[in-house]
Amino acid sequence: MLAALFDSSVWTALAAAAIAAIASILFLRSRNFLYDSLALAVSEIGLVLLAAGIVAGAIAGRLAGGFWWTWDARLTTALVGVLLYAPYLMLRRAIEEPTRRAASAAVVSIFALFDIPLIAVAVNWWLARRTVSLPLSTGWTILPVALLGAALASIRFRQEQQRRAQDAERRTAQEI
Amino acid sequence: MSAVAVEGVWKYYGDYPALRDIQLEAAEGACLALIGRNGAGKTTLLRTIAGFSSAQRGKIKIFGREPREAEARRRMGFIGHGISVYDELSALENLTLFGKLYGLPDPKKSANEWLERTGLERVRNGLVREFSRGMRQRLAVARAFLHEPTVLLLDEPFTALDDRAIAVLQRLLREGLAARKTIVMSTHQLREALELATHVALLNRGQLAFHGARTQEMVDDPGYVYARYGEGA
Amino acid sequence: MKYFRQIATVAVKDVRAELRTKEAINASLAFALMILLLFSYTFDPEQEMMRQVSGGLLWIVFAFAGTLTLNRSFARELPNDCLDALIAAPIPGSALFLGKCFASFVLVLAVELVSLPVFGIFYRVHWTPQFPALFGVLLLGTWALTIIGTIFSALTVNIKLREVMLPMLTYPILMPALMSAMRLTTSLVNGQPIPEDDFAWLKMLIGFDLVFTAVSLALVETVLVG
Repeated sequence: MLAALFDSSVWTALAAAAIAAIASILFLRSRNFLYDSLALAVSEIGLVLLAAGIVAGAIAGRLAGGFWWTWDARLTTALVGVLLYAPYLMLRRAIEEPTRRAASAAVVSIFALFDIPLIAVAVNWWLARRTVSLPLSTGWTILPVALLGAALASIRFRQEQQRRAQDAERRTAQEI
Repeated sequence: MSAVAVEGVWKYYGDYPALRDIQLEAAEGACLALIGRNGAGKTTLLRTIAGFSSAQRGKIKIFGREPREAEARRRMGFIGHGISVYDELSALENLTLFGKLYGLPDPKKSANEWLERTGLERVRNGLVREFSRGMRQRLAVARAFLHEPTVLLLDEPFTALDDRAIAVLQRLLREGLAARKTIVMSTHQLREALELATHVALLNRGQLAFHGARTQEMVDDPGYVYARYGEGA
Repeated sequence: MKYFRQIATVAVKDVRAELRTKEAINASLAFALMILLLFSYTFDPEQEMMRQVSGGLLWIVFAFAGTLTLNRSFARELPNDCLDALIAAPIPGSALFLGKCFASFVLVLAVELVSLPVFGIFYRVHWTPQFPALFGVLLLGTWALTIIGTIFSALTVNIKLREVMLPMLTYPILMPALMSAMRLTTSLVNGQPIPEDDFAWLKMLIGFDLVFTAVSLALVETVLVG
């Protein structure tokens, strides 16, 4: 069950990464901040779910075999995924100016998406000795996890849009 | 076709408008003095015209072209707050570098010419980090003029110049205007700028409060435009 | 061709400036030697295990020391606002970017080629027999490091905590390339040719270089002008 939750969180995170990258490209094309909020919301929630999934996967491993970390190809790939997107969030925090922040974050998001398949293959070769087997189960747990992700992401998205509106009001008020 | 055309430009930092509906033109051979308080948006406007950042709404045309097009970039010379030359290279190396980047037929020759015109020929092989403030400023001017730009965008060019550098810059600007170059210059030094200017634009909180020809009243009393059209007018 | 001359102008400028000050190259070299020395406390050169970790160790040294140089790539344009002048010049953003890539590539490679003999001496590793192949892997791996390091150097040039953000962004993205380079180097640096099985890693490394060079060039204007 825990292992299934882990697999579901990986699928959700992959979807999040794809949506984030597409939103990023759309932002760069249209400069509409809606896409930036979307990319942020989806990346944050995806990262949180992935991290939670890794914990679930680690616990599953411990219960099954006695070790917290089994260097399983899927678990390790997921961990690299977290390392890939955490800097995305850090970068956003490090840039004050909204347009620059959104554009820079969009670039990182696109790079990260291209990297995911390479990482998955590389980690697989490394750990599973060149048998590219990445059997992630597609059980029923996918649906609730994905729905949870979508719900959290839309809440986060709305929150981000509100924060943006408030910021704009605040700056306009400061002028007066 | 005007040399510099700013058409309905809005520039946002996030959701905050730093430039609001700016509409102005500078004809060939004009010298536009851009004045305004700190934070009014003069630097933002100049940098947007120069193509360092893009406007979210509206258009900028340099002789009918977008600022980022190669042909427009070739025609523009920019002096910002920094001198934009390398400390660890010599004056000659710096100018030769920019000569090459601008595709000049004989970069070294042009570099030497401009070192002479700015009075730096004796220190041509000296590293910029050893230069005095005034020498650095003169080199910045040489770099901006090196590729014979037809449009000059200057952000507070007279600030922090020593007398010799001011004299060099004023001479070059006068020569440029005589040769029908177009100048857009933001400034706090109203007197020096207004002497050269043919037109004046006043920016107030990102908006254009005044845009028109320079009048005698302005030359006589540099504070006139602020008093008449500025905040609290 | 004009484009290549523009790239060369930028590259030569960067290398010349760096050779005058030697800031990055000295720091990079000192750092590399220090890591090699520190690790020698952990590993006994006599042991077989040393051979197995040699590729990994070498690329950790190259990646960490290389970041010091790559960080300087766009950061060197900040004093005096030189970056403005480069962006204003009528050269394509990609020419500016590639010029800086080549300059960093040369500088990082230089540090690597000095570190290699030191590595050989400290850890008693015979790296000469397979040097041509080893050099090839060095070139491919260093290009990966350079391309990612340079694009993110441009991305982070103006932000606070640049020195922290650059490695944080670069290393995770670089993982597939680093893993490939480590695997290939382990055999080569011990004088063994690349085993059949490991040729897939070579393809991975080349693929990485191609994909990310393309992605970087596609996004370079956005990164430079915003």
